[in-house]
Amino acid sequence: MQIEKNIMNQLSSFNRARRVGTGAAALAAVLYAASLAFVGAAEANAPAAKPNDTKIAQAKAAETKKESAKPKREEKKKLTGAELYAINCNRCHPERYPTEWNPAQWKTLMLHMRVRANLPAVQAKTIVKYLQEEAGN
Amino acid sequence: MKKRSLLYTLLAASCAIGTALPRQAFAEVSDQDFNEVKNMLQELSEKVKKLEQAHDQDQQLHRQDQQKIQELQQDLGQTKELATNAVQKAEAAAQAPAAQSLAAGPSATHQFQVVGDAETIFGHVSGQHSAFAFADFAPIFLFRANDNILFEAGFDFTLANNAPASAGTAYNFDLSFATLDYVLNDYVTVLAGNMILPLGTYTERGAGWLNKMPDNPLPRGLLPGNGAGVQLRGAIPLGAKGQMLTYSVYGVNGPSSVDGTGNSGSLDLGGNVGILSAATTLPRQYGYGLPGTTFSTVGNLHSDPSGGGRIGWFYPWKPQYDVELGISGQSGQWNDVGGKWSAVVADAAVHVGPSIEVKGEYINTWVDTTDLGNIRPNGWWVQGGYKLSGLGIELPVINNVELMGRYDQSNDGLVPATNAERYSAGFIYYFSNTLLFEGDYEWLHSSGPNSQVFPSNELLFQISYGF
Repeated sequence: MQIEKNIMNQLSSFNRARRVGTGAAALAAVLYAASLAFVGAAEANAPAAKPNDTKIAQAKAAETKKESAKPKREEKKKLTGAELYAINCNRCHPERYPTEWNPAQWKTLMLHMRVRANLPAVQAKTIVKYLQEEAGN
Repeated sequence: MKKRSLLYTLLAASCAIGTALPRQAFAEVSDQDFNEVKNMLQELSEKVKKLEQAHDQDQQLHRQDQQKIQELQQDLGQTKELATNAVQKAEAAAQAPAAQSLAAGPSATHQFQVVGDAETIFGHVSGQHSAFAFADFAPIFLFRANDNILFEAGFDFTLANNAPASAGTAYNFDLSFATLDYVLNDYVTVLAGNMILPLGTYTERGAGWLNKMPDNPLPRGLLPGNGAGVQLRGAIPLGAKGQMLTYSVYGVNGPSSVDGTGNSGSLDLGGNVGILSAATTLPRQYGYGLPGTTFSTVGNLHSDPSGGGRIGWFYPWKPQYDVELGISGQSGQWNDVGGKWSAVVADAAVHVGPSIEVKGEYINTWVDTTDLGNIRPNGWWVQGGYKLSGLGIELPVINNVELMGRYDQSNDGLVPATNAERYSAGFIYYFSNTLLFEGDYEWLHSSGPNSQVFPSNELLFQISYGF
């Protein structure tokens, strides 16, 4: 009787562990699927580059240049690497100067900081580009 | 009548002449002449045929030439396009020379890097002698295998009191974390290993030179700092001003009981992985060898892992003006009798310009115990800082000073409860962006049966260096 009780206890524990494991696996699958959806959406929104569009692109660029000469409403400004660096990095630690490390070291450091500080990939890439451009030797 | 007869006569005469004249003409062309003319006509006909053939050949050549011209024109167009693309690529390369040159990949020495911090504390606790109380060296080793894989491990070398190996020495060497990070895509990074837990933000951002006070807030002692397991984390950018939604989800071994029981005094927040005794003999029903076999192994002291996570929202309205809010939690079994340990942490941080920072956390935990039932240890802390450079006074010493203040309190949840609350006021002097001199005075009031575990009023100084 005691042995059966022990076995039942073990099975109960196993079932709980299995439920937790199944739940974790389902959550991981949902997260992964959601991330794929985000990636897909980002790629779908990205303009596809066609070699034959060169002349059209040049023409459009010329038009844009003409239009930019005219005064117009301020457009949505994309944040620069320096701005994103000031926004994200200074809130946790004193500012580190770009010249403190070389470009390859910044690449390693920013991968570490992207994970630790949970930075969005697009912002981390913009920041690392800025730091590499301003980096020391 | 005469006229009509005359007309008939003339008609008959002309018919007679007409009939006679052709005979005379045919009679003038001989067969020889006829054959000559005939031959001449045949020669002309052959010449015309040859000319027609030549013309056809010329037309074919013309068509071939036209085809070749079209092919050449197409080749010319492609060449022009290639040349245009090459110019554009050259212009792009000229605009971003640094990024292009780095894409080739760094050397192995550049993929390996050491960062971290070091601290020394001098303290005076009321009723005791002043002393250098603590020295800490905490390197973090980073190795970037490629753009998506990073190994990172943090260590803590600490020494308190006296020299190593002398009487009264207390020193420690800890692995504070060690993880393999794999960037799955732009939105998911997988961590595996012994990780710093994202319960609130303090532990992940609490290295000695990051925390602006010499010691930790009191209620942080209610939470585990690390866990062995797996974590998924990432961020989703929102809008164009740098806003983001961050998340972390993890499963870890979780807190445990030091002896397997569910008594309140047996809770071990550090985790439940332990090495069983080398002389352990497992029961026969587990199937490990023959009865009496001894061995050493690593095992969990309970069977259920803990799960947890954090969701955060970060909103900067301009650089150095931002607010961050987060909610995190963890839950799981902590002993062998089915008792659960759970926690919820709410965290917030605000920056108003480069000079003002306020942040804090509220922590509540639930512990199922055998001896005391469900207890709820809890606490909260809030910390503020003001950099005097914000006053705009052009004095070198003033501009390097940040004034600090903190309030923290904790309650152990027992009946009767032990409460502790502390007021701290201090400063930071920035010798540089990485070398900090911190000092504070802490007024601590505690009450309850376990109040002796809390220190008395303290004066602390700390030198921190981040590298």
